[in-house]
Amino acid sequence: MERRKFLNLGLVAAAAVLAPMTNLHAVNFRETKPDAWKAEKSADAIKAMFGDGELKTTDKIKFVAPKLAENGGSIPITLSTDLDIETIALFQDANPRAATVVFSVPEGQKVDYSFRIKMRQTAVVTIVAKAKDGTLYTLAKEIDVSIGGCGG
Amino acid sequence: MGKMKIKAKEKDGVVKVKAMFKSLMADTEEAEKKKIEAEYITYILGTVGEKVVFEATTSGFMAENPLVKFSFTGAKKGDELAFALTDNHGKTVTDKKKIK
Repeated sequence: MERRKFLNLGLVAAAAVLAPMTNLHAVNFRETKPDAWKAEKSADAIKAMFGDGELKTTDKIKFVAPKLAENGGSIPITLSTDLDIETIALFQDANPRAATVVFSVPEGQKVDYSFRIKMRQTAVVTIVAKAKDGTLYTLAKEIDVSIGGCGG
Repeated sequence: MGKMKIKAKEKDGVVKVKAMFKSLMADTEEAEKKKIEAEYITYILGTVGEKVVFEATTSGFMAENPLVKFSFTGAKKGDELAFALTDNHGKTVTDKKKIK
């Protein structure tokens, strides 16, 4: 076999080995978007995370949260939607930094997440979701917190 | 940061997962107040075999010992669901559990 052909074969093999690896570690947003995690206000954090694109208000994303949270240290949140979402993130204005959690939805999976967050005071919680086609959806809700989380 | 509890159950092709990760989730300000070291999970990755089924980048404003519920498709009973956590110090912890 000619040397050139042999080398090419090696390259193809290496690419085949590497491809699933890169797929496995999709995006760690703390590494790719460090500014978004330092922003104090939701609006700034959203801009740093998703860019300047237009935010479309939607009611197709189900966002369940208590209207009044008795314990700000543990507020249950549920997010679900049938839309084809690539990334869905939660921001709040109550804490020193706005970004709270960003889910990257794996290929072919639907958004259906329940988790708990901390809020030290009453504030607006904003959800921003990026669809596969690039559209940015948003919805917000104010949550009343009677006792602060975050050690407050 | 340490242990995690994972429960995964398959029904009609949908795997429902409940996972609790033990962590103080204390960000800088909170840690200062409590006089402890800041410690929180920054990245959670859930995989079945080679496939990513759950991925989240988190901050210290998730509640203590974050409990996450989610569901996914494309796995069957007996498959192993593995989680890898990374905290703010760069420490990684992994654990796995069979899907029931």
